[in-house]
Amino acid sequence: MQNPYIPYPVTVDKIITEVDTKDIKTFRFKFVNPEDEQKYAYIPGQFGELSIYGKGESPIGIASSPTQKGYVEFTVQKAGVVTSALHEMEEGEVMGLRGPLGNSWPLEFLEGKNIVIVGGGFAFTTLRSLINYMIYGDNRKRFGNITVIYGARNPGLLLYKDELIEWQKRDDLNINVTVDKGDATWKGREGFVPAVCKDVAPSKENAVAVICGPPVMIRFTLPVFFELGFSKENIITSLEMRMKCGIGKCGRCNVGSKYVCKDGPVFTLAELDKLTPEY
Amino acid sequence: MEKRLIKKDALAGIAKKMAGDFLVWAPVKKEDNVLFDPLQKDGEPYFAYLNSKNAPKNVFFPHTETMMKFTRTPKGMVFSAEENRADQSVLFGVRPCDAHSFALLDKLFDQEKYQDAYYVAKRQSTTVISIACVQPPYATCFCTSVDGAPVASEGTDILLTDIGGDYLVEFITPKGEKLANYFGDAKADAAAETKKNEIAANAAGMIKSKIPAHEVKPILDVNFDNPFWNTIHGKCLACGTCTYMCPTCHCFDISDEVKGADGVRIRSWDSCMFPMFTKETSGHNPRSSQKERWRQRTMHKFKYYVDNFNAIACVGCGRCVMSCPVNIDIRKVVEDISKL
Ligand SMILES: Cc1cc2nc3c(=O)[nH]c(=O)nc-3n(C[C@H](O)[C@H](O)[C@H](O)COP(=O)(O)OP(=O)(O)OC[C@H]3O[C@@H](n4cnc5c(N)ncnc54)[C@H](O)[C@@H]3O)c2cc1C
Ligand code: SF4
Ligand code: SF4
Ligand code: FES
Repeated sequence: MQNPYIPYPVTVDKIITEVDTKDIKTFRFKFVNPEDEQKYAYIPGQFGELSIYGKGESPIGIASSPTQKGYVEFTVQKAGVVTSALHEMEEGEVMGLRGPLGNSWPLEFLEGKNIVIVGGGFAFTTLRSLINYMIYGDNRKRFGNITVIYGARNPGLLLYKDELIEWQKRDDLNINVTVDKGDATWKGREGFVPAVCKDVAPSKENAVAVICGPPVMIRFTLPVFFELGFSKENIITSLEMRMKCGIGKCGRCNVGSKYVCKDGPVFTLAELDKLTPEY
Repeated sequence: MEKRLIKKDALAGIAKKMAGDFLVWAPVKKEDNVLFDPLQKDGEPYFAYLNSKNAPKNVFFPHTETMMKFTRTPKGMVFSAEENRADQSVLFGVRPCDAHSFALLDKLFDQEKYQDAYYVAKRQSTTVISIACVQPPYATCFCTSVDGAPVASEGTDILLTDIGGDYLVEFITPKGEKLANYFGDAKADAAAETKKNEIAANAAGMIKSKIPAHEVKPILDVNFDNPFWNTIHGKCLACGTCTYMCPTCHCFDISDEVKGADGVRIRSWDSCMFPMFTKETSGHNPRSSQKERWRQRTMHKFKYYVDNFNAIACVGCGRCVMSCPVNIDIRKVVEDISKL
């Protein structure tokens, strides 16, 4: 019997400081035992428990795409005990990784549809996983138009800056990056995510919106999509709750009868409507 | 399966004989309380009790347990060993309500997708022997309202029922049958069976406390926002006693402890009654007051568990009712909900 509480040993292979304020970093892990990589087969939208012995564990969305072989990446903001200890780690150190956990972005449902991705702040991580998955090689043919609207408070807080540039070069992607307030060198859009969504006005025809961001962004973005005619079945988001076990046992992450760790974190708005508004 | 008869005064001897062969958890008297404890060589089990002070769930789900060990190396703290001990054991003399709670906990801990290795290992290596309740019960017992009964075998491997001078011994599962040789060779006849059924009906009749546990599910489905939820928690101290006493509560915390170069990851009982239980690092707390926490506890037992496992997560043992320092009574809560 595989014990789901025992982490796989991983080596911190690479640490990338993503933002000017230095409190968000991307950690690239390699599995100490190569065969564990097979066992860690994941789907965009799932998360892992990053495990630092002596400190504890934190649930973090998987930021890499399964099409990126040989490693797995997480983008983490420094917050409390575990995430601060993680930010102190150095390349070459060994720690633990559990998972993959939770459901995922519903890839089969998304296939053949036009996809609108809306992200704000550092919640962009699992959306990045989804984008990289969809645009990888032949995968691209399985999806219709892909529109991305991604915003941060200022240019220094944008994640994955090199990738954003690469994506913008592609003609099969409609990338809209915005910042609340630009700086001297910023040549892109300025404005809040909801306003940019209104401006870009993606068509609801055969389309699904995948929206992830801080609560206030979500609150003001949803009405825009309702106005554009998107149904609640076609708007998808990912929830966050305090977690420990990640497998529906410890009892702390439920919203109504669903455990966000096991039955989520991904839900359609229609599904959320059926749950209690306690998150 | 086979049924036998043993003399009433043979019970302690059987428990002690088993204790010579493996770990036996039996009721023992400790000061004024009856608790389940490993039976020591010179220890004496104590059977003249209505129920144990604490639920015996800690046999499978200890208050705290070590999950794994780790150690410091030049590359950082690394995993060193999984800790999951499960010796062959017997849990001797639990009441049917508490045995019922094991069947309920199994649904959660022994799911196909994620098996809880720690609980399942202990559960599988332990044989549960229940003693039916034939004496007048506590006034707070309401097992018959929540799919239980004073003489019932759910969650147990061997059921013992006092039918007068003898105990009727029923082997409920193959696991129970494996211990048959401890129970003599007197086969039970049809008369013993008839007597047991009479006693069972009589015992069920003695449970006077009743709650409309099944009626409230459809009401809870549509009353998440009912102002009624403002009326329960006012005096609640958020002490968590109700959840710690409860045989079906299963919430836990996971934490790390380090001493020098070595450390352990442990899990310990936690409670949905505590403010910190759901508090996120950002400060946001989806259950921000005791109102939401009491609603969670009630909903979990009478709605969410029913949604997920088609079973009510309460066995009617009455421990929470007896132990709450401010006399909040879940029976009254359920009663009130049924009138919404
Ligand atoms: C599904 C999911 C995906 C997430 N993805 C990311 C991500 O990609 N990047 C990122 O930076 N953060 C992410 N978070 C938030 C992140 O888990 C918390 O910031 C982190 O657990 C804080 O842990 P800490 O030990 O540093 O803080 P402490 O305050 O010391 O927390 C102690 C423990 O409480 C639990 N906890 C506290 N807050 C949260 C919370 N908001 N969510 C879940 N558990 C919590 C954790 O077990 C944590 O170890 C995600 C959360 C969830 C639920
Ligand atoms: S809720 Fe109360 S009466 Fe029901 S099983 Fe738990 S402790 Fe016993
Ligand atoms: S035992 Fe009583 S006071 Fe303590 S948390 Fe439970 S309901 Fe509240
Ligand atoms: S994190 Fe333990 S139940 Fe979801």
